[in-house]
Amino acid sequence: MNLLLGAAAIGFILSLLALGVYVSFRIFEFSDITAEGSITTGAAIAAVLLTHGWAPLTATFAGALGGMCAGTVTGLLATRCGINRLLSGILTMTALYSINLRIMGKSNIPLTNDHTMVSQAEAWGKAAFGKSTLAIWGWEVAVRDASLLIMVPALILVVCLALYFFLHTNLGTAMRATGDNAQMIRALGVDDGVMVVFGLALSNGLIALGGALLAQYQGFADVQMGIGMVVWGLASVIIGEALVGTRKLGYAITGTVMGSVLFRLLVAVALRWGLNPNDLKLITAAFVLAALIVPNALKSLKQKPRSLTHA
Amino acid sequence: MLEIRNVWKTFHPGTPNEVRALQGVDLTLEDGSFTIIIGTNGSGKSTTLNAVAGSFFVDEGQLRIGGTDVTRWPEHRRASLIGRVFQNPFSGTAPSLSIAENFSLAARRGLSRGLGPALGSRMKAEMRDAVRQLNMGLEARLDNAIGTLSGGQRQALTLLMAAWRKPQLLLLDEHTAALDPKSADQVIALSETLIARDRLTTLMVTHSMQQAASLGDRLIMMHRGKVIHDLRGAEKARVRPADLLERFEELRRSELLDESAAEMLERLYV
Repeated sequence: MNLLLGAAAIGFILSLLALGVYVSFRIFEFSDITAEGSITTGAAIAAVLLTHGWAPLTATFAGALGGMCAGTVTGLLATRCGINRLLSGILTMTALYSINLRIMGKSNIPLTNDHTMVSQAEAWGKAAFGKSTLAIWGWEVAVRDASLLIMVPALILVVCLALYFFLHTNLGTAMRATGDNAQMIRALGVDDGVMVVFGLALSNGLIALGGALLAQYQGFADVQMGIGMVVWGLASVIIGEALVGTRKLGYAITGTVMGSVLFRLLVAVALRWGLNPNDLKLITAAFVLAALIVPNALKSLKQKPRSLTHA
Repeated sequence: MLEIRNVWKTFHPGTPNEVRALQGVDLTLEDGSFTIIIGTNGSGKSTTLNAVAGSFFVDEGQLRIGGTDVTRWPEHRRASLIGRVFQNPFSGTAPSLSIAENFSLAARRGLSRGLGPALGSRMKAEMRDAVRQLNMGLEARLDNAIGTLSGGQRQALTLLMAAWRKPQLLLLDEHTAALDPKSADQVIALSETLIARDRLTTLMVTHSMQQAASLGDRLIMMHRGKVIHDLRGAEKARVRPADLLERFEELRRSELLDESAAEMLERLYV
């Protein structure tokens, strides 16, 4: 039970990653892999500031700001310097590896004794429940897990609502249209390059926010923690789309969060059943590959008989 | 209103694919005029429109709209003065956004876009009235994604959107060429209504001699990147599709003559 609660909490935290991937890959159709660096940047900045005694909320948002800067750089490389989109992301990601090491000063920063948003949530939980374990439906649940499972989804809800309303403003609508039809939005007086830069800043800001929270949840920031994150985020987005079955914005955002949580639960169960953790990234990659190929394969299978009758 | 001064454009210069698309185009449109451009394939008529819209920068020459020099303005900046409808019905709208959202984008053409809500109730009411005039039943589907509509419906909406904020210049680039005849007629009728209602200065490219003869108050014929005929007033009013076809035929004959003459010269002197 505690395993699943922990997985759900990570799922909610990483739904920020999935939302960021949704913004870049789905709204902007921009295959941005800056995420692998920016999620670590968020964690690194937050961890360093926390060990220097900054307030958890400020440190966390400073981390998100770092991610926005990273996204801005990728966006400028792609739009102003005309560099291939994938390569822009790779360049930023590679540079971020060194920058993250510079920020952290070493490859791993433990946060076990620092005042973080997680320790804050735990303290509130203990004050509210008055003890350190709870009995829920006969299960023994640590107050830490219970309070996190209230606080994290609440935070995610706030972020999702903010994102939803932002994407329905004049600016947000123009951003969505840019990914949809850049030619049209230029003809309506919008600099589509600027929109892409804004979009990547937004995307990587969300991702870095997820990284900052993840570091606080797992109790450390590590320079390697970003590896494979884009594919994980993409897997969550794909599961989410399968769950809600539409790309309408409100549903898509909800689905992405649900997809992230479900993905984490599946991973936790698989690991519990004896899946080698080292194989996790291979399996995730295979899953995303299958999700990308299968719909097309099914379509061509369906179309084949028809083309035969025509011939 | 629009001044095109000696505009030149060569694509892929210095390569085997070099195309000298515009070779000194000169054209001045008066305020409120409705000008049709016709021409053979590759004559530079669509290129002229794209040069005005800012899809690319011209190599030489000057473009002025309403007295303002826009030659070096990027496309999105010129859009504050220009409404556009493209040949491809899918080019003018964002398919995954709703009809209402597409309109809200057009309603801020050339204005800043901040954090205000894109769709107010007043704007929705206005656009519902406008869309109702299309008689396509779309006013009940304002929240549907525009990608679910037919090409004709999308093109009609693009036209409404382009004219929504009364542009100083309306550019129509063969905007009915990809539509079925019935949709094309609807879109042409709508174009005439909107242009007449707001006295929009319009530049329209067409392949249809029918449209070229019946629409507009001025007719430009382009060939090899230049304006070769310019009919206005009574002369334009008299013109029939057959006359235009004849002019194309003339062109074809003179081209043939050119080629045979060149061949003869080659035989004689090379």
